[in-house]
Amino acid sequence: MGPHELTAPANPLGYPAPYWFLVFFKVLGFTLHALPMSLWYAGIFLALFAYWLGGPLSKVWSRRLMERMPIIVALGINFGIIPLLFIQTAYYKVFYPATILMAWPWFAIIPMLTLAYYGVYLYVVGLRSENLRAWHKAAGWVSAVLFTVMGFFFANAFSLMVNVSGWGELWRKTNLAGAALGTALNTGDPTLWPRWLMMIGLAICTVSAYTVFDAAFWASREGDEYKRWAGGFALKVHTVGLLWFASMGSWYVFGTWPADVRESMFSGAKLLLTAVTAISPGIPWFFILLQRRGVTRALAAAAGAGQFAAIAVNAVSRQLVQNIHLSLFVDVAAEPVRVQWSPIVVFLVMFAVGVAILVWIALKLVEAERRSQARAT
Amino acid sequence: MHYPVWYVPQLTAPMLIAVIAVLHVLVSHYAVGGGFFLAVETGYAYRTNNSAYLEYLRRHAWFFILITVVYGAVTGVGIWWTIGLSSPLATEMLIHTFVFGWAMEYVTFILEIASAFAFFYYWGRLEARTHLIIAWIYAIAAWLSLVLITGITSFMLNPGLWPRTQNFWLGILNPQFVPQTLTRTGGSFLLASLYVYLHASIKMQDPQLRELVASRSARPALLGAVLVAVGGVGWFAFLPDSARAALLAAPVLNVFMALVVAFTAAVFVMIYFGPYKNPAWLSPALAVLLLASGMGAATAGEYLREAVRKPYIIYNVVMSNQIRADELPSYQSQGVLEAGRWTKAYVAQKYPQVIRNQKVDTSRLLSLPEADQVELGHVLFQYQCANCHATTIGYNPVAQYIRGWSEDMLRDLALHPERVRFVMPPWAGTREEAELLVKYLKSIQPPYPRGMHGGTR
Repeated sequence: MGPHELTAPANPLGYPAPYWFLVFFKVLGFTLHALPMSLWYAGIFLALFAYWLGGPLSKVWSRRLMERMPIIVALGINFGIIPLLFIQTAYYKVFYPATILMAWPWFAIIPMLTLAYYGVYLYVVGLRSENLRAWHKAAGWVSAVLFTVMGFFFANAFSLMVNVSGWGELWRKTNLAGAALGTALNTGDPTLWPRWLMMIGLAICTVSAYTVFDAAFWASREGDEYKRWAGGFALKVHTVGLLWFASMGSWYVFGTWPADVRESMFSGAKLLLTAVTAISPGIPWFFILLQRRGVTRALAAAAGAGQFAAIAVNAVSRQLVQNIHLSLFVDVAAEPVRVQWSPIVVFLVMFAVGVAILVWIALKLVEAERRSQARAT
Repeated sequence: MHYPVWYVPQLTAPMLIAVIAVLHVLVSHYAVGGGFFLAVETGYAYRTNNSAYLEYLRRHAWFFILITVVYGAVTGVGIWWTIGLSSPLATEMLIHTFVFGWAMEYVTFILEIASAFAFFYYWGRLEARTHLIIAWIYAIAAWLSLVLITGITSFMLNPGLWPRTQNFWLGILNPQFVPQTLTRTGGSFLLASLYVYLHASIKMQDPQLRELVASRSARPALLGAVLVAVGGVGWFAFLPDSARAALLAAPVLNVFMALVVAFTAAVFVMIYFGPYKNPAWLSPALAVLLLASGMGAATAGEYLREAVRKPYIIYNVVMSNQIRADELPSYQSQGVLEAGRWTKAYVAQKYPQVIRNQKVDTSRLLSLPEADQVELGHVLFQYQCANCHATTIGYNPVAQYIRGWSEDMLRDLALHPERVRFVMPPWAGTREEAELLVKYLKSIQPPYPRGMHGGTR
């Protein structure tokens, strides 16, 4: 039996929307999820180190980031639901087997996330009480480690999803009378490590872009000294992230991509996309470079938008690479489609109303911030 | 059979869903009812200019966020995780039917998160009217989330006209939708008040204020208990025949049904004579008793809701052994080892001698050595039975049910499980495969308990 015979048969109901619609929301959702996820992925470690080893301004930066971390985590989790929905709709044939083979690590994400989330809260409670005790700090470090382990498990699941030819061997080693024990990990797959490490590089760059954005737009209560420092600090962080991303990305592309993936991604329009993906984190770096002696709102907005674009372009490229890998086993675009028009329309209307309400809430919060500042001055 | 089965020793994989689901609903109901509590009570406190009550509500909002936004949200995602691992085929069917229902629910999640944080973190900085609107945005979004997810979970129990039409709206608006929405809405009001009592009884020092909270939260709690009762009657009325029969036949379900009624009634009575009539009675001990009773009712109710569906995960659509009901004839003619992707791979890899023309030749199975036949019987057990049964010890252990059974009894069970117990799905394989299962069952079968019938056995 070939590995393609382990993928599930097509669902008789068909896709409820055209493939492009499903994959658009999957990629959009992943991009929105990756933004806050990057902030906790790299940001918590950096913030803890900054608080531990840094000077007074590093501590201010650390506090600013960590105080917002509960909201960042909440947003990240919620934005993560959308790609999870659409991945199960369009990639069910490979998503379920991959996650079942590694069921225990995959399942462990839930208790780990709960602990990590509460750890963040504990740390922030200590921080706000101006009495950061050892156990508050320990909670922060435990959270940072747990988020890193979770990232590793995610990288395992999504690399295993496309490593269909590796399923048989993993299953053979971890089954009881054919039932998966759920203890497998995709560590034998050469793409796993650079994929995971590359995300960390991108996450470090996101923390840097967030730093200048925060300093320019939300740090009105901090002095000018902090805003000058933030630009320089963000540049150092982004440079490290960029070098990390470049080295791990090179390893991933040139060291682990199979010939067919490389051939496809290095030809025609995809070559342009590959090139843009490779250089995309350099664009926010350039805007941050211009702010090394002090942040400005226009440049900070450009850096933030650039980083968002870098994550989005990465997400699009990852999707294409995923499809090329999978094309040997399943054609995700070839499923029958039975469009559920009225639910789509209701969803889109709710989506639009939801965005309008969010904008209204945001405007009210900005108004409230301005009032508070006016009172303070 | 389209996917590998996840072996969870003793507990069985689907029981993990039950555990996570119960842990989730105990908080998710509070996330809905608590939203209404905060919206109504904050409005009341603003109207009456009660700054002490406002301060209490601010503290309660922090407690609410810590419980619902963190624990509630993560366990909600946990259900997703667990159903995909334990019941992948049913999840696949649900997601292909209701992905836009979940997408709508997702919009309400985002609104909940944004409004909850704005409500708490901007307390005192927003104008009262804006603050209240944001509280109501949260409450309505959370309730809509409840309505949408209830449409999907109730569909699993009674999909109504969906199997014929496969229409999204007929699936969501199934016969169980209104009763279960009423029950869950009532449960939300009730549980929220019980959480409020616990928090207020511990955190609130001012006796007058505590009495105010006790009496004001009693009304939604009593209304909630009534809605639970009305919805429960509707739930029973619109149960499919098999579910009602399962409810009446299984002693454990009888007990759980009685527990739901008894706990709900007890909470109603305690609230009526306690916080409603005598608000001064509210104490931490009473609050713990009330919350424990409310949680007992909710836990028993959730277990019942899940258990009565057997032998289906989705009634008449997906069976508990991860086979679609419409696939059954094909499985019975080809054999489950051939029809299942992973079972076929297992046989092809370990027993290539039974493969002919790239298919599992079931007529060759019984010519395998005895140990191999038992091993294949174990494979069949994993893929046909392990979704509901542990082997020798644990949840619903099949070995304990077949103590001392004769081979003919075991064969009858393997070939016609639905005749032995109507809550089991029909055998989805060939006669030869049933023989393999019989051999495996014999290998794990303990003897008849000694010393019974006056010591004659």
